[in-house]
Amino acid sequence: MKHYECKHFLALDCEKGMCAVSRMIVPLDGEGSDACPNFECGKLCKFCAKFHDADSHGIGTCSGFEKETWAYGDCGAFCCENFENA
Amino acid sequence: MDKQTKIFEILEARNRQDKSLDVSVDAGYTEEEIPAPSPRFEKLINIYYQMKNTIDMEIPYWYNRVWWENEGDVPEIRRAKAYGAALAHTTPTIWPGELLVMNKTKNWRGAFPFPWVDASFFNAQAEALLAEAEAPALAEADRMSVVGAGGGNVTESYGNVVSIAQKFGLRKEEVPILVKISRYWDNCSIEVVTQKYSEAIPDYYKYKAYRDTVLVMFDSWAIPQGREIINYYMPLEYGFDRIIEMCDEKIAEILGLAENGDGLLGMSRGYYYMAMKEITKGLSAWADNYGKRAESLAECEPDPQQKKEYEDIAVVMHNIAHKQPSTFREALQLTFLCHLAVVNEDPQSGQSIGRLGQVLQPFYEKDLEDGTITEEEAIELLELYRIKITSIECFASSGVTGGVLSGNTFNNLSLGGLARDGLTAVTPLEYLIVEAGTRARTTQPTLSVLYDEKTPEEFLMKAARCCKGGQGYPAWMNNQCGMNYMLRHYHDEGMTVEDARAWCLGGCLESSPGCFLPLHYNGKTTWIPGGAAPTAGTGIHFTGLPKLLELVLTNGVDKRTGIKVFEPHNRELKTMDDVWDVWMDYMTELCDISLKVNNIQMDIWRKNNPPVVASLLKPDCFTKGQTLSNMGCRYNSTINFESCGTVTFINAMASLKKNVFDEKKYTLDEMMDALEHNFGFKTAFETGVFSPDRREATDEAVKYEKIFTDCVNAPKFGNADPYVDDLMVHYEDLMTALMPTLKSYYGKPLYMCQISVSTHGPQGAITLASADGRLAGVTYADGSVSPAANTDKNGIYAVFTSATCYDHSRNQNAQMNVKIHPSAVAGINGTRKLLDVIRAYMRKGGFHVQFNITSSKTLREAQKKPDDYRDLMVRVAGFTQYWCEIGKPIQDEVIYRTEYEM
Repeated sequence: MKHYECKHFLALDCEKGMCAVSRMIVPLDGEGSDACPNFECGKLCKFCAKFHDADSHGIGTCSGFEKETWAYGDCGAFCCENFENA
Repeated sequence: MDKQTKIFEILEARNRQDKSLDVSVDAGYTEEEIPAPSPRFEKLINIYYQMKNTIDMEIPYWYNRVWWENEGDVPEIRRAKAYGAALAHTTPTIWPGELLVMNKTKNWRGAFPFPWVDASFFNAQAEALLAEAEAPALAEADRMSVVGAGGGNVTESYGNVVSIAQKFGLRKEEVPILVKISRYWDNCSIEVVTQKYSEAIPDYYKYKAYRDTVLVMFDSWAIPQGREIINYYMPLEYGFDRIIEMCDEKIAEILGLAENGDGLLGMSRGYYYMAMKEITKGLSAWADNYGKRAESLAECEPDPQQKKEYEDIAVVMHNIAHKQPSTFREALQLTFLCHLAVVNEDPQSGQSIGRLGQVLQPFYEKDLEDGTITEEEAIELLELYRIKITSIECFASSGVTGGVLSGNTFNNLSLGGLARDGLTAVTPLEYLIVEAGTRARTTQPTLSVLYDEKTPEEFLMKAARCCKGGQGYPAWMNNQCGMNYMLRHYHDEGMTVEDARAWCLGGCLESSPGCFLPLHYNGKTTWIPGGAAPTAGTGIHFTGLPKLLELVLTNGVDKRTGIKVFEPHNRELKTMDDVWDVWMDYMTELCDISLKVNNIQMDIWRKNNPPVVASLLKPDCFTKGQTLSNMGCRYNSTINFESCGTVTFINAMASLKKNVFDEKKYTLDEMMDALEHNFGFKTAFETGVFSPDRREATDEAVKYEKIFTDCVNAPKFGNADPYVDDLMVHYEDLMTALMPTLKSYYGKPLYMCQISVSTHGPQGAITLASADGRLAGVTYADGSVSPAANTDKNGIYAVFTSATCYDHSRNQNAQMNVKIHPSAVAGINGTRKLLDVIRAYMRKGGFHVQFNITSSKTLREAQKKPDDYRDLMVRVAGFTQYWCEIGKPIQDEVIYRTEYEM
């Protein structure tokens, strides 16, 4: 798993974020981007039970709402009223 | 005995109580060292400096999804649902150490695309990236615009980051999302629809020529909102829950009725309140989500102090999600929420904060009375506010982001002016805003002082002290001039003296109308000012006046591109009157055609993409039950004509007059030959120097030596020389007469907006050498009444005399930039001297003046070693920007500006 998939990840920009616990700036790519042992799964669409059939770009289907439509796996779901842990 | 003591002895002997000359005694003001900003600010700004401008796709995703789910709905309701859902679903990020929270996106610094406004740019770029092909050629205005490569700009792709618009970084994995969303809008974005109808105008091909030659820069749809003053009254007075209740009450009362017998818009009122309810729910949920996120962070936070700070944030956010704010901090947070909500609604720049220190004074005053805040705590919050506003970015093409805006978004905060009762409006909180701006140097919000003779001396001195910091703010505006302009231009819409007092800067220098509304708080009623009009900046866009003159001399053909811009006039230009006549013929045609196109652009925008947050906040939309699109605002005559290169144009005309027509030293053909051959020098593109700082001769230089010398030595604006100043008066007379004949999409007359922002860079780049001795490609003179750099030889007061050769209150603005060496204003006497200079200009009727108090030497060093000057800021036009984020042409121009030593 990667830092950006963790519950404690705070987005900063297109190349880095911050760990809310350690306060360290962590990269999104390459060396140092893997999550630490304290990883806790964050809320992203790809971790939702209602997200499925993702393609090679991570674009899949969201069936969490009245009208089923496409969604992308890395989209934040902290505020999604219908998020369910997969 | 020093001179000052002697003066006081004399004054005392005369029983004069006024010791205003000695600010260090009477006003308790001493030129002490500026305190350091708070450690919290230092920590957070240092993180900001490391941030890359980033595009995020969450808001576009949710907007797109809910928009299409509601296909067929009434446009304003559909839009409110889509935008409300986007706000309610975006990831709330809170970083440790923050007290004020919320961001445009989940990232610190960045923005997101608006494919519903403009999809082609993103589609074209992203499609190419998806196909691993070369990016397509940029539009001409984009190609001519240079974005600064330093700071947070992502000017090139690297690793998994793709550069978009030469400024923003987009994660490679999000490119398919951008493409997928943009495709929905391929045939129905505002850009595409307006294009379709604009092309139906018989002369549209001429507009295309204006744009392709960069004679006119950018389209209205590119930034349809902004250059206006926000209004925070509604949520501050009522809170979101009460607004929703009021919407329900109105819906129950009027839905289904054509109110007031109005068969056109009467029915719209019901839909308006339904839309306002939807968007208010979204705003409330957005705030609540930040509260939830703060609670979630607090749960996992081991540090007790940080945990408490998260818990406090949660209380603030949950409260403002529903109720009228109960503290200064909550009120400040709520205004920031509203600000972000408006700037996220459309691509925009220049959404001005307005007179925040007057709006929030009642909240600050109550906290002081309750003993729940100290001055230092308030200053710290205001310092943090500066980081938040500085982090606001605008996502648009590079031509707009770099060429026009220099990466800035012009969130202007005005200070001073007059209150509704005609007395000074300065509040204690405004002193703290200036203090925060002095200590915590950031590009935004830029500050503007509305100078009035009633403004307290102590406040003016404090603002002047801030100005000396070299950060380019505050700028100084003439309050009486602004009021006169309001009364003159908005007279037909019922502008009153009271409302005229509520004006301030919308955008960098766009004087905008406002009004006062009664805030009920702390058992008192306070009349607070705020914006009362839509955008004051979308009409006929940046028109290069020297380029237009060039086209007069070339018989309508752009020599650089070969494009026929105007029909050949085929007139022999025998006199200056002939030149003026053809120039005005071309100008009139340009205005007629550009106006039609831009009217269509804005009309389609307001119909298909009606602003909903702005329509909630702006008086009198809620009272009338009409969106901003339906002229719900109190004042609507806000659309303008934007010029660029005024003084370069006037100087070129002066040279033609002197060298060709009066003294007949050269024929017009000889002059044209010299201009086409760049007086025998290399162009700016060949030398890489975009100011007259350095010239490189070619073999032809000898041939043009004499004419070049005569052109350089021709009379120049800014020397109190009637020979050239009279040309400025003539120009102003002609244009002021033309404007009322042009009517906006609101059916209201246009006016002149004389700001160049950064367009004097790219528009200078596409202009041949001009008769004033300016070489091809060199930037135009900045501002609208600033002398061309180093052509003013008679001192600053001569500059002021030239600049005020016509009545500035005729127009929306008049831009004067002055560069002063820091040594000239050192110490308290230097502050006084600076204020004296400002006062002298204001008393002569100058509308606006702003300062770069920095040395050219420092700027040259910073140009060589940008990494050593990450926090260096300069005043470009009506805004301050980090030096390292400005393109080289504008850097060169700022370096070369005349440096006064007074």
